[in-house]
Amino acid sequence: MSIAPSALPIGMRGIEKRFGSVAVLRDLNLDVEAGEFLTLLGPSGSGKTTLLMILAGFVRANAGSIRVGGDEIITTPPHKRNIGMVFQNYALFPHMNVFHNIAFPLKQRGVAAAETAERVEKALDLVKLQGLGERRVDQLSGGQRQRVALARAIVFEPRIVLMDEPLSALDKGLREHMQIELRALHRRLGMTTVYVTHDQREAITMSDRIAVMNAGRIEQLDKPETLYARPQTRFVAGFIGESNFIPVECRNGSVWYEDRRIHTAAPTPAAGRHLMVVRPEKLQLLANAEPASGVNVLEAKVSDIIYQGDSFVCYAALRDGRQLTLRDYCRSDVLAKMPAPGQPVSFGLDAQDTILVAAD
Amino acid sequence: MNRTRSASIVAMAGLMASLAAPAMAGDTITVASWGGTYQEAQTKAFFKPTADALGITIKEDTTNGLDDVRLQVTGNAVKWDITELGADECARGSKEGLFEKLDYGIIDKSGINPKLVHDDWVGISYTSVVLIYRTDVFGDKGPKTWADFWNVEKFPGRRALSGSQATETLSVAALAEGIPIDKVYPVDIDGALKSVDKIRGHIDAWWTSGAQAMQLVKDGEVDMASIWNGRAGTLKKEGAPVSFSFDQGVLTADCMVIPKGAKNKEAAMKALAMFVSPQLQANLPLYVDNGPVNEKAFETGKIPQDRLKDINSAPENVKKQVLQDAEFWRDNLVEATEKFNNLIQQ
Amino acid sequence: MSAQTALMQQKAGRPGPDLNTQALHMDARRESLRLLALLSPSLLLVFAIIIVPIGWLFWLSLFDEAGALSAANYARFFEQASYIKTFITTFKVAFIVTGACVLLGYPLAYMLSQLPRRAASICLIFVILPFWTSVLVRTYAWLVILQRKGLINSWLIDLGVISQPLSLANNFSGVVIGMTHILLPFLVLPLYASMKTIDTDCLRAGMNLGAGPAATFRQIFFPLSLPGLASGVVIVFVLCLGFFVTPALMGGGKVIMWAMRMEQTTSLYSNWGAGAALGVVLLVVTLALLGLFQWLLGARATGVWSSR
Repeated sequence: MSIAPSALPIGMRGIEKRFGSVAVLRDLNLDVEAGEFLTLLGPSGSGKTTLLMILAGFVRANAGSIRVGGDEIITTPPHKRNIGMVFQNYALFPHMNVFHNIAFPLKQRGVAAAETAERVEKALDLVKLQGLGERRVDQLSGGQRQRVALARAIVFEPRIVLMDEPLSALDKGLREHMQIELRALHRRLGMTTVYVTHDQREAITMSDRIAVMNAGRIEQLDKPETLYARPQTRFVAGFIGESNFIPVECRNGSVWYEDRRIHTAAPTPAAGRHLMVVRPEKLQLLANAEPASGVNVLEAKVSDIIYQGDSFVCYAALRDGRQLTLRDYCRSDVLAKMPAPGQPVSFGLDAQDTILVAAD
Repeated sequence: MNRTRSASIVAMAGLMASLAAPAMAGDTITVASWGGTYQEAQTKAFFKPTADALGITIKEDTTNGLDDVRLQVTGNAVKWDITELGADECARGSKEGLFEKLDYGIIDKSGINPKLVHDDWVGISYTSVVLIYRTDVFGDKGPKTWADFWNVEKFPGRRALSGSQATETLSVAALAEGIPIDKVYPVDIDGALKSVDKIRGHIDAWWTSGAQAMQLVKDGEVDMASIWNGRAGTLKKEGAPVSFSFDQGVLTADCMVIPKGAKNKEAAMKALAMFVSPQLQANLPLYVDNGPVNEKAFETGKIPQDRLKDINSAPENVKKQVLQDAEFWRDNLVEATEKFNNLIQQ
Repeated sequence: MSAQTALMQQKAGRPGPDLNTQALHMDARRESLRLLALLSPSLLLVFAIIIVPIGWLFWLSLFDEAGALSAANYARFFEQASYIKTFITTFKVAFIVTGACVLLGYPLAYMLSQLPRRAASICLIFVILPFWTSVLVRTYAWLVILQRKGLINSWLIDLGVISQPLSLANNFSGVVIGMTHILLPFLVLPLYASMKTIDTDCLRAGMNLGAGPAATFRQIFFPLSLPGLASGVVIVFVLCLGFFVTPALMGGGKVIMWAMRMEQTTSLYSNWGAGAALGVVLLVVTLALLGLFQWLLGARATGVWSSR
């Protein structure tokens, strides 16, 4: 990824926000690198949108510092922050056509008419809306509006672009298509981007790094693959990807599930109760009870098998009644040893894929 | 003495009625007038005694004037047996044929100014347009004549005239030009309009209702105005600092008619005869300042001597005033009003 | 497939290109008839209370006092200068009152739209409150306030601001003040409603893109509030044209508006047609003006309106 010369890093320190007696953000610290695509991911009410609004200047924090490059902007009014933003509902100006919507930020900056026309044309090219400048906003499809909003947010070459769930109003196919386009556009322009979504799949697809937010804090900030492979909290493990949680105990330097020792690649955590995170696609059906070394075995009884075309899902219950889910592709070797509901079955989980998180 | 006399009149009237039409007892007629204190006075002076004497029931209603009568007559839905109107309205309605002929065999017209006795309408009472001024502004040296009212140098101050009653204002305007009382009619309309033109720039309000005229004077919004004597009398009784006299007043008559197609014409005719009779006419000034239309009322002895000076149709007061000519206005109202409206509009 | 086999197929009820076309066509017709039947009460009502009276008004205006067909009722407007004067006065008052309502109402509606919901609904009650008293009462109240010995003049004289009372009532300014007060809610309510529908994100977007508060207001909020302003202006303007009580009481007889003239004319000419003609003229001119207004605003506003 090339870092555009205009891209700037953001440093947030000690951001606090309360609405009345409700704390929405608590002592939040976050560094966004120059040119990075960083996603704030979390359920509704986690504070991700509030953080974005504070960044844009629409919401005033109770405490904290935001530095862009070296400059403190926490008290800078929104129209002087020079930050582009794409709104959830696009917030296009209904009384202006596409051209004037996109030209709006240039007009505010006193850009000459000829240059404005040229830059708007370029922005329209960039979002693949060539020749639609004269269209009225209400004559555009959802996807086209999305592109206009995007063009408007980048046409003035802001140092930073914020996006507030910009794809949530689009249908699935278009959304996935736009994810790829947004990603490509970011690669090309290289502006520092802070993206808000509650869709973990979207976050994983698009981001350089993801900050998972919960209850006004950042639970974990990592690359998508690290977040998935090494979630540090139960919340992160549960929010990103599917998981079954199995309670385990650490004693004498080993990990135990009931009377079975669990092998892990990671160092054994402190003594006490923990949770083992089991991802459905990491489980394998074992043909015999003698697994290879370093594979944890879990015995269960099949309760249901759901066929999904390219894959299937096998639901099973452990002896203590806990649910386990296995997902695998419909390869003939797997299908050959497919158990029937009610049958006992052994699941294998490689030590490399065995994740432990603190029980809360 | 007064008491026995009125009692005997009622008895006589009752006798007369029972002789004339015994079947009439129990009849019901509806009489419409202007409402308010004026109609309350009429109820006491005319309607109640008549109902008692004739043994009929008189129901009352209120009217907005000739339009109401026209609507009822042309729509074949006549609700009223007798209704009151302004004399010029009576003259116009008569021309349109909206009223029943009156039977002067039943109605005794002696004592009523012949100008107010017609085939199908008869006068009932008088109102005067008088000049009122505020004594807190002028002391007792206020404008006494319409020429004074027109003299803005000698009598500076705020002025109001009637904007809705063009006929009255034009009569007043003619008087202001110095035309003697007996030469006002027929009104030289163009001359009167010229006179209005002279004063209109100094008029602060053209009133459109009696209540408004009263309010303008009472609140001190104007210092002098033309006003109906009934309203002027009320102001004085309320203690407002005002003075007025009947000098150069304009007497306008009200009249009563039986709308064409009235359901109970005969009873109405007899009731109307009672209303204009000297005895009942003499009752009216006991309750309001509107004077009786029948001169003989002043001979009944019912009206106290000290009250006479306040009654516009008392013989002494009539001499000082101009009587509006209803038939003149019947023929000139439209043209004069349009010209007048054009003139006073800002 | 030959015509014959097709016919046979159809008769046999088997699938074919003309399957049930007749029945479906009949069904569609029945449905539109049913819709018409459902609509008919309201259509009838509109006809009975709008079309018939207006038609009757027009019909009446064509007859003179004697009941003969004539243009006399219309010719009068040109023969008598006072009608033209009244007409000009009426529109002058309507324009000035509408302008005053806009100047006062826009900031008021803006303030209401920016207040928190609770405070806004309390303030709205105060805006609507005057509706609960009659126009007559409110007009008299203004008379008490504005006249020479009224509240305003007494205060100003007591404070030594003026030595002679101002002429606020019984003239043009009295009419404008009284009517503006009475008509203000008719402007504020639709304007407030339309301001409430303006997307706050649009305003945020404006600021985000570099427009300061004033520029955001001018370039985004104001244009987006125009449809509401337009409907408020139209309502106020049309109501002004037909106003009677306030100019009659506050104008001191010098400000004669069209409705007052209708009343005068109807009783003066002993003829409904005379008044009816005035009604027809006002109706036609008002409609023409509204059409013009729509046309002027059309190009600019359609984009805004249709996107709602």
